[in-house]
Amino acid sequence: MSTLVETRRVSLRDLRVRYSPTEPYVLDGVDLDLLAGETVALLGASGSGKSTLMKALTGFAPITSGEAQMAGYDLTRLRPKQLREVRSQIGQIFQQYNLIGRLSVLTNVLTGTLYNAGPVNVLGTFSAADRRRALELLDRVGIVHKADEQARTLSGGQQQRVAIARALMQSPRVILADEPVASLDPRMSHTVLSLLQSIAKDEGIPVLVSLHVLPLALAHSDRIVGLRHGSIVVQGNTSDLDADALAPVYDVHGDEEM
Amino acid sequence: MTQLLAPKPVDRPKLDEASRQRLERAFSVPRARFGAGLAIAVVLFVWSSMGAQFNFLELGEGASNMGEFLLRLFPPTWDKLGTIVDLLIETLQMAIVGTVLGAVLSLLFAFGAASNIAPRWVYYPFRWGMNIIRSLPDLVIALMFVSAVGLGPFAGILAMTVGSIGSIGKVFAEAMESVDRGPITAMEAVGASRRQIIQYGILPSAAPMLTSYTLLLFEGNVRGATILGLVGAGGIGLELTTAMNMYDYGHLSAMVICIIVLVTVIDQASAIIRRKIT
Repeated sequence: MSTLVETRRVSLRDLRVRYSPTEPYVLDGVDLDLLAGETVALLGASGSGKSTLMKALTGFAPITSGEAQMAGYDLTRLRPKQLREVRSQIGQIFQQYNLIGRLSVLTNVLTGTLYNAGPVNVLGTFSAADRRRALELLDRVGIVHKADEQARTLSGGQQQRVAIARALMQSPRVILADEPVASLDPRMSHTVLSLLQSIAKDEGIPVLVSLHVLPLALAHSDRIVGLRHGSIVVQGNTSDLDADALAPVYDVHGDEEM
Repeated sequence: MTQLLAPKPVDRPKLDEASRQRLERAFSVPRARFGAGLAIAVVLFVWSSMGAQFNFLELGEGASNMGEFLLRLFPPTWDKLGTIVDLLIETLQMAIVGTVLGAVLSLLFAFGAASNIAPRWVYYPFRWGMNIIRSLPDLVIALMFVSAVGLGPFAGILAMTVGSIGSIGKVFAEAMESVDRGPITAMEAVGASRRQIIQYGILPSAAPMLTSYTLLLFEGNVRGATILGLVGAGGIGLELTTAMNMYDYGHLSAMVICIIVLVTVIDQASAIIRRKIT
């Protein structure tokens, strides 16, 4: 494998996705590279294709045509068996955190290792080494004091940090965060997004984070990609972009449903 | 920036005038759909009560006979209290074994009958199987096992176990189906296997409901076990029938009082536990 492919952790060429042959394309010719260590903000209005892009990268949405490479896997030619393997290497963070509410915070983080868990795990046992690592990760996201509590008792911001620890537990090669702060207050949004950005730097992995609040994208990304009607309409380094440059992402001509 | 993102002037959707007037009226006339539904319900009830020979007048006339019957029940005679307690303990033991076996088997069946776990070709046969079991009256199942393993509590336990699969298995399956989709997605996203998704995504979330239904099953089985004796399947039921046939009303009423006490205690205890876990 060439170094180029290795640093380019995700590479999409003319990616098209539609859910049925009679419907229009939800993603219509997307070209995108994600490099190691960078945080890329994905901006776009509702229905612009942000979530579908995330889903296409994790095998939850069908790729209709185009090329899609992710961490060395060709996503368009995945055998069903490989799907679990690929997913185990992608850390996913969701808007609603998706923790298992009645399990402890620690167990939630440990579920990040399930793909590699042996048959012993039928009893719900995780190795001491995994437990140590999970506690380290919880310490890193600042929530280790809650390790033994039920996940559902935590606040939204705390739950999202547990979800980030779970994603890190996978030793992911890419992190995809789909609207990770949409349910959080502004202060917690900044905390979570700067955490994600520092993880990208420290771990040397790309983090793709979809957002719909422009100032948050400008504050917490290295690069911004703007989607509209399934196509990339703006793309550039965050430092070179401002609200005017990002105008095409949002609907300034009034042709979209309110 | 604020200018850019400010909402643009658009034609807002309007509410039509008739709907607006209807919504603004303080007293709303029930809609035609509701009226039609009510009429159908009334017709159905009258038709059914005629068919089932339901008659308020007869009930009134019969009230004196019922009073007589109740009077005959008093005073209860407690000379056979030892027998009653032994039989009640046997009934309780039948219910405990039947519930544990029934709950375990129901859980296994429920995996097959939950649409978010089982593939279609497993789901339908399991659902049909449960429907068939559920449509068999408990006494018929009990008779089946009495003829298979002979008279006694063992037949009763088997009947309860099988009966549970029909009733509680379906509820278990529905509890698992109603689990929040989020944790399941998260487990799929970390590359978990189907078994792991059930273990971590579904069972912990469904656990309070599963426990709660198991307690309800136990309550039902205690009551049910008092009847199974009618067909010789153990428990206090046989003694009840015998007392009735022998016109031993004192003994009968002592048994009924003991059953009421047992069932009430169990219902209350299980209600407290259920409140604690949900």
